[in-house]
Amino acid sequence: MNTSQNDKIENLQAEDKTALSEVAVFVENDQRSGTFVLKNSSTICGHSQQEGIELLPIAAALKKYNWLEEKYFWKQISKDKSEITRACASSKTPLGYFIMVKKGHKVTLPTQAALYMAKADEKQIIHNIVILEEDSELELITGCVTKQGIDKGEHIAVSETFIGKNAKFTNTMVHSWGSEVEVKPHSVTVVEEGGSFVSNYVSLRPAGKIVSNPVTHLNGAGASAKYFSIILGSGSSEIDLGGDVYLNAKGTSAEIAHRAVCTGGKIIQRGMLIGKEECHAHVDCSGMLIDPGEEGFIESIPGVKAYHEDARMSHEASIGKIAPSEVQYLMTHGMKEKEAISMIIRGFLDSDIKGLGPELDKRIAEIAELAGHGSE
Amino acid sequence: MSNILEIKDLFVEVDGKVILRNINLEIPKGEVHLLIGPNGSGKTSLLMTIMGYPQYKVTKGSILFDGKNLLKLNITERAALGIGIAEQRPPTISGVKLKMLLSYLLDKNPKWKEEIDKEIENSKMKSFLNRDINGGLSGGEIKKSELLLLLSRQPIFTMLDEPDSGVDIDSLELLRSMINKLFSPEEEHPVKRRSGLIITHSEGIIESIHADKTHIIINGEIVCDGNPQLVMKQVVTSGFESCIKCNNLQGSV
Ligand SMILES: Nc1ncnc2c1ncn2[C@@H]1O[C@H](COP(=O)(O)OP(=O)(O)O)[C@@H](O)[C@H]1O
Ligand SMILES: [Mg+2]
Repeated sequence: MNTSQNDKIENLQAEDKTALSEVAVFVENDQRSGTFVLKNSSTICGHSQQEGIELLPIAAALKKYNWLEEKYFWKQISKDKSEITRACASSKTPLGYFIMVKKGHKVTLPTQAALYMAKADEKQIIHNIVILEEDSELELITGCVTKQGIDKGEHIAVSETFIGKNAKFTNTMVHSWGSEVEVKPHSVTVVEEGGSFVSNYVSLRPAGKIVSNPVTHLNGAGASAKYFSIILGSGSSEIDLGGDVYLNAKGTSAEIAHRAVCTGGKIIQRGMLIGKEECHAHVDCSGMLIDPGEEGFIESIPGVKAYHEDARMSHEASIGKIAPSEVQYLMTHGMKEKEAISMIIRGFLDSDIKGLGPELDKRIAEIAELAGHGSE
Repeated sequence: MSNILEIKDLFVEVDGKVILRNINLEIPKGEVHLLIGPNGSGKTSLLMTIMGYPQYKVTKGSILFDGKNLLKLNITERAALGIGIAEQRPPTISGVKLKMLLSYLLDKNPKWKEEIDKEIENSKMKSFLNRDINGGLSGGEIKKSELLLLLSRQPIFTMLDEPDSGVDIDSLELLRSMINKLFSPEEEHPVKRRSGLIITHSEGIIESIHADKTHIIINGEIVCDGNPQLVMKQVVTSGFESCIKCNNLQGSV
């Protein structure tokens, strides 16, 4: 595809760029290996600029590669699974991205994709495919954002990800939504022998409603999955964030760590580990309540299910509040009360989640800041 | 105003229980005083009250800091006036690393950065930086870490709650040199030493840190004050028993 004709990125307004940068997508950044931007229902750009990685709008990719439909498209999720998949399957020209990293290529710079809603009452229906061939590596930043002032809309996404033998895929999703937007992603990832999948999810401005339960199948020996999520619930948002990991092969491992800060609204954190072979896995759901109001709550539901006697799996859940003695201690070192609260939230969100990049560190600081100020 | 701290007729309650009675205490600018007394006599409570912990309710009396009424101020505002404390049992805050707090303080006081880097080197604290504040540290390590935080801010009045308790001999010297830095002269006034109030049980402190006066607190009341060397000698030989007797004999103090 001749991408240059489709590139209308220079037509993005300053306010669009600001919105995208909020979710870590920087259109003028040359420190990215590829960029995809979907604004409402039009693809603004979709191209890669590093050896070994191909990035195309999904419709173009389906035209270009016959095998895509045969082998990958709708292969992990059935079109009939739910209302969402049916809605997605019925769209004539699918929207979304196709990313493929060729065998042995370790893409050094992150690729970025923005799914951006700039109009009120927009319904975005998306289908993404990511394929990492054997021994390849990729970091993908996916930013989903509504323009400031746009409160209503619907975002439906089907994502199918294939991680080949010994390949490594890190997907960092940053969400920032209008207060009444409904978000319903369906994601399935398959990991082959020795492959690894890291999924980081950060929600800065919560949608009105998010229901997400990404599923990962660790099909090859030694494959691993890590899910980290950090969400801020506020106002009347309803967030139901889960994650199922099937440990289907010998020596597979998984870790799910959910962190939620609730200043209002409902938060349900789930995580289910299904061990079908010798494996080890842990799921941890932690929450912190800060003046959640009458109706606000966090419910944590970590679960484990073992089919094999050598499946070693564990779970924990804890919910707490900020201890006044900790805030006071930080105040003796000169911090204002709000600064102290922010630092404690930051610590809570960071704790035990190692190796987040500088980009995510920044988002965590923002959430801490937002949540700290929510406690007025 | 020649007193940095002036406490008058102070009464303090915790959970409805009176724990400090009729406290009168003056610390002139540039002086470092010691506070000693048996366990449970109210030493820590007095420091926490001066710092502004709201659990310690002042029911009567006044506290002036450099002439300003402290009782109207919250902890942050007191810290901003230049009051600092190294607590006896500081909390651990899960996920909050020493590094985070240190860089917060040094961002505000960049001029101390070099000195602090040196101090971290000297005191072998590099490995603590990425740990939770006070988390999994020994008694002596907690003291070091608290002193390091104070040095990053250089308060003009520092309160230390048993800075040398539970510290092994090897670390004592280091801790004492850090304490002396806290009471070194103010930058703008090279002849004016910074002031403080130190709770201690040991003789050791007065050998390495110049203290101007020692106050004895028993059962929530300050019953005596005097020359640090003389008081310590008396207490070491006859314990606080002699103080109690002495006070009874003298009737009212
Ligand atoms: N936060 C608190 N809650 C309840 N009682 C307290 C609290 N702080 C101090 N006390 C009580 O006040 C008294 C003095 O305690 P403290 O000031 O810690 O003594 P010291 O430091 O001299 O050993 C003790 O009886 C102690 O139990
Ligand atoms: Mg004490």
